[in-house]
Amino acid sequence: MIAYTIRRALIAIPTLFIVLTITFVLIRIAPGDPAEVRLGDYASKEAVEALRKEMGLNKPIWIQYLHTLKDLLQGDFGRSMVNGRPISKDLIRSLPYTLELTLVGIIFGAVFGIPTGVYTALKRNTLADYIGRILSLGGLSFPTFYLGILLMLAFAIKIPIFPVVGAGDFSNLTKNFYHLFLPGLTLGLIMTAYVTRMTRSSVLNILNEDYVRTARAKGLTERKVIYIHLLRNALLPITALIGIYAIVLIGGSVMVEIVFSRPGLGKMMIGALKQRDYTTLQAVMITFTSFVVLINLITDLMYGLIDPRVRYK
Amino acid sequence: MMKAIKMAFITVLAFALFFYIGAPRALGASSEVLRISFDAGDILDLHPHFAHTTQDRGVVHLLFTGLVRYKTGDIGKFEPDLAERWEVSKDGLTWTFHLRRGVIVHPWKDNPGYELTSEDVVYSFKSAADPKRSAWAAEYAGMTFEPVDKYTVRFTLQKPISELLFLPKVADYAGGLIIPKKPAEELGEGFRTHPVGTGPFIFNKYLPKEKIVTVRHEKFYRGVPKLAGVEVFFMSDLSSRKFGLQNKELDVIEGPPSQPWVEEMQALPGVKVNVFGPGESGVLHFNMTKKPFDDIRVRRAIAYALSRDEVATAIGKAIAEAVYSEIPNPQPGWITRDELVQRGKKDKKDYLYAPDRKKVKKLLTEAGFPKGFTTEISLTERGEYQVPMQNVVAQLRESGINVKLNVVDHATYHSNIRKDMNTIVLYNCWRPTADVRLTHFGHSSSIVVTGKKPITNFSHVGAVDADGDGKVDNVDSLIESARDMLDAKEQLAHWKEIQFKLLDWCIAYPVFIKRFTFARQDYVDWGYDLKSTLILSPQINELTRTTK
Repeated sequence: MIAYTIRRALIAIPTLFIVLTITFVLIRIAPGDPAEVRLGDYASKEAVEALRKEMGLNKPIWIQYLHTLKDLLQGDFGRSMVNGRPISKDLIRSLPYTLELTLVGIIFGAVFGIPTGVYTALKRNTLADYIGRILSLGGLSFPTFYLGILLMLAFAIKIPIFPVVGAGDFSNLTKNFYHLFLPGLTLGLIMTAYVTRMTRSSVLNILNEDYVRTARAKGLTERKVIYIHLLRNALLPITALIGIYAIVLIGGSVMVEIVFSRPGLGKMMIGALKQRDYTTLQAVMITFTSFVVLINLITDLMYGLIDPRVRYK
Repeated sequence: MMKAIKMAFITVLAFALFFYIGAPRALGASSEVLRISFDAGDILDLHPHFAHTTQDRGVVHLLFTGLVRYKTGDIGKFEPDLAERWEVSKDGLTWTFHLRRGVIVHPWKDNPGYELTSEDVVYSFKSAADPKRSAWAAEYAGMTFEPVDKYTVRFTLQKPISELLFLPKVADYAGGLIIPKKPAEELGEGFRTHPVGTGPFIFNKYLPKEKIVTVRHEKFYRGVPKLAGVEVFFMSDLSSRKFGLQNKELDVIEGPPSQPWVEEMQALPGVKVNVFGPGESGVLHFNMTKKPFDDIRVRRAIAYALSRDEVATAIGKAIAEAVYSEIPNPQPGWITRDELVQRGKKDKKDYLYAPDRKKVKKLLTEAGFPKGFTTEISLTERGEYQVPMQNVVAQLRESGINVKLNVVDHATYHSNIRKDMNTIVLYNCWRPTADVRLTHFGHSSSIVVTGKKPITNFSHVGAVDADGDGKVDNVDSLIESARDMLDAKEQLAHWKEIQFKLLDWCIAYPVFIKRFTFARQDYVDWGYDLKSTLILSPQINELTRTTK
């Protein structure tokens, strides 16, 4: 398993390299650059050119690329081209906000989605099933930002119990979670919809399997049938899909961070894109990609824990 | 299984209750701290000589002051500020400023602050004049700065300029904001995110992509500010800003230039809306190097096809109004509608271009486009450009002129228009003086790409035949001579003459001026009458308070 993990980690290197290269080229092809953005529309062309030179943007693109590679190999994300701050410092501040948001979304989705999915599968074609399916379909169809706005309207305006401004810092966890509740609920509800549907489908697939029928025939309680025989076998595809949707959720967190003004990676990425902050955008993209790779790896490793038949080669 | 769902639900509710009860109340912040939110994801640069976005300027003006200041809330007048008084030599070449005593620079790191002297002021202007340390360096070209004594500063100019043009350079705007020497040198690059000045509030904390926290400057030279501090939030989502105001987590929010938004905010209980100037004027610049805009008849046909009032109404009656000259109301040098009509009668010319379909048809036919024509331009996705331009496009379509819009992001738009890619450029801006405006949009040196100092002369005035007589036309010498005039009346008249010429050539079509919109709680008292401010947002100063 250790060898497998190391091998998978090594495979991530070319993935990161490709993402870096694509990001590096695309952002530089786009019109506008950080010098223009930083100086504004009042600045003369001379001033803009001088700043470009200072930023190294006048050098051939392949030299800029080599410089970037060299810095990254040394673990240095460099400084923001727009505000001059060390990018790693901003990443360290932003990362926990995105992580906690995504994590809450996944946990929420799993906690609500799995039981609901199992329940609707067991009650197939009953009113409960229809309601569950309609709600989960609604959840899948809802744009994240719109759901966020509706939740704010409900729980910050109509029933003013949760805040919409600020994210709370990590020195006060209670306050932090207080600020996290609505954004977490937004992502969590979306995740619940995904998990409910796939759990239902997964359970339905194995509901008529011989081993389930056998379990029932030998007189096991329904509770034991569900938890020991049904759920355990249904979890493998569910785990795989939770992994995939967790990646989708990271993407969804971008919109949630904008709507709830959370200082996470998504907000950092959008800001860097708008400001043509090349270095920051590269760093954020690499971080996002690293997470996608990591989640995939964790998902693969989870297979082995859930299904002893899975062997890592 | 239902039991599991119930358990999960109860657990989440319990968590919510726990955090709600346990969390310190964020709703309804301290009455002494003003919480303002801008339409932005973060700051860009808090160095006052680089700051140019609304949110940056909003923060910078809490922290910095200038030798003189635009009268708070009304930019039509200047008042002494860091300088108690000033005088100018008879030849107009030397300006001497006498500094106020006891001005204390904000404390920073382990330094408790110190008294501001002429050494700081000279350092600040040298920095403002250095292209590597300022985006406004061109404004200070040819000036020298020296300390006369501890509290006196002398400016020496190569050429005399009028008070109307000189005072904006030393006022509390952009390069005129004073950077104290010691913190600027000590903090270096860090000054951009940890600014230290002499204003009513002291920088306290910057939480990237979230907020800036300031506290009052107890030793502020105009008296202790009434607010304990100001927190500036960066929230790019309009709905969350509105909700923040509604549940009183925020005291002031930036709004979009939108009539429905103004009306929606005005309908909220306990909320007031400020619509204030000077705003940004929107002008359509015709690229005279590109066909068919090289033909004056085509440009005039477009002007006659448009109704300024209709565009202004599309933006919103409470927010926008029509403008008739390159220099907009209320900047010294602007031309009123009546002036245009009167002058037109006198010169037997039409400077107004009131909507007239017959003239459009006639001019287009003469130019060889009896059925109209099609042109394609790029346009930023921003609402303040989209709303007026969509209306312009609709109006032109009725006259057979089809404008196809390629919508791009804002940075791309600015890049494209500076590469001379558009046939028509809609440009919304405010410039600090009439001279700057006319130079940037009418002087040949400012022509995009090919000018000596290319900036925003999108029409290529000065490099092409503008009036259709086969000769290249320019207003360079007129702009330069107006710049050198010392008599204010004469200078204003000269600026108007330049604009009459540009209007006659129809190199551009001034359309509207759009004011700024902010909503606030009714308990927020600015401490002054807010009519106009150059910083694009309400100024929060030592007199601002909350009365809740």
